[in-house]
Amino acid sequence: MLELLAQTALNATYAASYIALVAVGLVLIFGVMGVVNFAHGELYMLGAYAVVALYADAGFPFFLAAAVGLIFVGIVGIGMERTLFRPLRDNPLGGLVASIGFLLILQSLASVWFGVRMEHIPPSTQQILRFSDSVSLPVQRLYVIVGAVILLTALWLFLKRSRFGWALRASAQDPEAAALQGISINQTARIAMFIGAGLAGVAGALTAPLVRTFPYMGHSVIVTAFIVIIVGGVGSLEGAVLAAVIYAFVHTFVTTFFDGVIADIVGLSLMLLVLIVKPTGMFGTADRA
Amino acid sequence: MPEERRNSHSLAWLAVLYAGLIALPYALSYSQQEILVFTTINVLLVMSYRLLTLTGEWSLGHVVIMGCGAYASALASKALGLPVPLSMLIGGVIAGLIAWALSYPLFRMKGFYFLIGSFAAGEIIRLLWKRFRDPFGGPKGIKRIPDLGTIEIGGFTIDFYEPVTYYYVALAVVSVSLFILWRIERSPIGLTFHAVHWQDKLAESVGVDTRRYRIQAFVIASFFAGISGALLAHYVGTINPNRFNVEEMVYVLTWAIVGGTATFYGPILGAVALIVINDILLRELGFDQLRPMFYGLILICSVLFLPKGLESLVPRISRLVRRGNHNPSPPKVQPQEGAE
Amino acid sequence: MTLLLDVRAATMRFGGLTAVDNLSFSVEAGSIHGLIGPNGAGKTTSFNLISGFYTPTSGEIIYRGENIAGIGTHRTAAKGLVRTFQHSTLFQEFTLLENAVVGCHLNLRPSLAGAIFGNDRRRRRAARERAEEVLEFFGLAERRHELASELAHGHQRALGMAVAMAANPTLMLLDEPFTGMNPEETKRMMELTFKLRDSGVTILIVEHDMHAIMGLCDRITVMSFGRLLAEGVPQEIRENPKVIEAYLGGGAHAA
Repeated sequence: MLELLAQTALNATYAASYIALVAVGLVLIFGVMGVVNFAHGELYMLGAYAVVALYADAGFPFFLAAAVGLIFVGIVGIGMERTLFRPLRDNPLGGLVASIGFLLILQSLASVWFGVRMEHIPPSTQQILRFSDSVSLPVQRLYVIVGAVILLTALWLFLKRSRFGWALRASAQDPEAAALQGISINQTARIAMFIGAGLAGVAGALTAPLVRTFPYMGHSVIVTAFIVIIVGGVGSLEGAVLAAVIYAFVHTFVTTFFDGVIADIVGLSLMLLVLIVKPTGMFGTADRA
Repeated sequence: MPEERRNSHSLAWLAVLYAGLIALPYALSYSQQEILVFTTINVLLVMSYRLLTLTGEWSLGHVVIMGCGAYASALASKALGLPVPLSMLIGGVIAGLIAWALSYPLFRMKGFYFLIGSFAAGEIIRLLWKRFRDPFGGPKGIKRIPDLGTIEIGGFTIDFYEPVTYYYVALAVVSVSLFILWRIERSPIGLTFHAVHWQDKLAESVGVDTRRYRIQAFVIASFFAGISGALLAHYVGTINPNRFNVEEMVYVLTWAIVGGTATFYGPILGAVALIVINDILLRELGFDQLRPMFYGLILICSVLFLPKGLESLVPRISRLVRRGNHNPSPPKVQPQEGAE
Repeated sequence: MTLLLDVRAATMRFGGLTAVDNLSFSVEAGSIHGLIGPNGAGKTTSFNLISGFYTPTSGEIIYRGENIAGIGTHRTAAKGLVRTFQHSTLFQEFTLLENAVVGCHLNLRPSLAGAIFGNDRRRRRAARERAEEVLEFFGLAERRHELASELAHGHQRALGMAVAMAANPTLMLLDEPFTGMNPEETKRMMELTFKLRDSGVTILIVEHDMHAIMGLCDRITVMSFGRLLAEGVPQEIRENPKVIEAYLGGGAHAA
């Protein structure tokens, strides 16, 4: 029993890692631009396909492919900011519809280029860390955990130390006041979009060998990310990370001991409960609804 | 124009419109007739959605509410053996009751939080359908839902399984529903919904219980969404949880936004235009896998270049038409729209 | 003389901040009563306490012998206590007539059955008549089919009062009605306020600028830092050294 618990905890840690990467990006975008990016799951999908194309098909090293995934999807994010979210800055509902339109375009392009079939690519490493007979962690999963920890720590330091970080936080709190202090909203939004999209991309890239890659894989990811940002509090990066951990543990444990559908219901109920009791989330301060 | 003349004018236009709608199926292929049935049902769905948006709230659970009507009506006719028309009414009522129960947690929220909250509530309902095989049939849903059957009138057999006949049934039900929705909007209660949307604090100050009116709009909207779900269930004969997922909701949302919700006809324009583009034009052109891409591009272009929706074109076009017809005496200086 | 409103030891705390501290005063039926004070005196919080928007941390708001503390704005309106808003809080997208019809909400009682079957015709007509009447009262009748957003600033204020008037108030709360008005608009607003009082409505004005309401009020209550500072007829208030000091010390626009 103890071993089952330990194994489930390891699985949950892995899930928490990539969920946190996706959710933090979503929060960042929402915080700075006030836009609900429905295409965020498709950015994750795009990152996964970057690894399929570069690592599995073209034979480049896995980590190079993942890094390219991060940068490529980040650039796609910049493109979205410039063409969709900037012209629609005063129209949040319009931004939402535009992101839905973009989601359909990405899905469609992916299905034309890669087909709608599910791709299962070989892992980049076969190694498994064995802790005991029935407790183990594939190194491929460890990559995701370590990658998430490194990237999120780097982001945290970046936001705490740099002028950009200060500008990001200032524009998230009050765009007008930030503009008055000489912060360029466009520049800040571009950086937020690059980071936010890039994090979703790298999450997809790192998990690509562990999941099935297909054009519609973003759907379940975006639902999870929404739950996490609501539970964590819209606008709080730390909250998103903590909520990702909580959600991953609850979901993984309920899946292991009951079943997946019940786990989904529990996750959604958790979100509904937070919305009813404290709509600003467990750690939320920003109020940009 | 005096009011009476204007009324008889609009009545004449309405008569022309309905003559066209009645003749329409005979100009279409079989598969297009099927799309016509779905379009009619979807018009009711999006118009019920509009009633909710009058109070300023946008929900992501409306299609699941439609599903509640579909499941309730299917079960009432199949498991309880009730006649189909009665089952449909029950479907609407059950959808309204579920909305009423949901409104207590949901209307503690507003705006973005309501949007997400309604999504969560809807997904939970959908997962319950998936989880409980009895009575909802699990992921495969409910099959062999009774249809309207056939009736014989003086030697003629009318088969309601045929798209054309079902289309007339749907058209009648949807027309009556739209008439009721129109009466509601034009009445004091409709004015109050608008008031709640634009200035809820001011409305409260003269005694409007804003929460109560938000709930009312939600329940009425859900009743009609349930009716549309029931119409769907007894036409296709099979329903399952995936038929009411968030992608379907996204379609409804885009019909409403692309068409615009300021006018009564806006969402109808949006739904009809987008369905015709997606299910007829793009399909005929044969871009099967690229269809979502074109659809996505249309969505993006419409919010970028037509932010007030298709409905904002109508006054401009009718102004152009009038100018062409009447050759107006000195051209009136019209404030240019969209010049801001 | 009967007391219409009796605020008894009302206290409102937000976290560590005490916005209103043990405030007591009362308003006599048929009077125009002023509640003034420099910035940050707690006027707006008091206003929200009386209109039922906030629930006081402690104390009572007695209106016509009944404690209405925290019952909610739409319920106080139903009891005949109606507030107006600062600036131009109106249904900008509606015509003047529609604005006033919404004001008649409590008598109109919109219902679903009425909407569908039209069996509320008499109530609809009564509401429309009442709406026309209040627009007439405030001199807006001729523009009843114009949109509220097209009105000039002063007229928007008048419309705001008309909407409140349509709800048949016994006590009307006016929230800084003179802010941003030019002398002529101010004069017109004062006339309207007197006219309103003469038609039988008791009025409580919350106002920052004490000079604007000196000639208007029968009695004035002065607040400072959340507490009651002074109360009396305008002449007493004008000469009260504590009031003068509060206004000068606050650096406010007392002059």
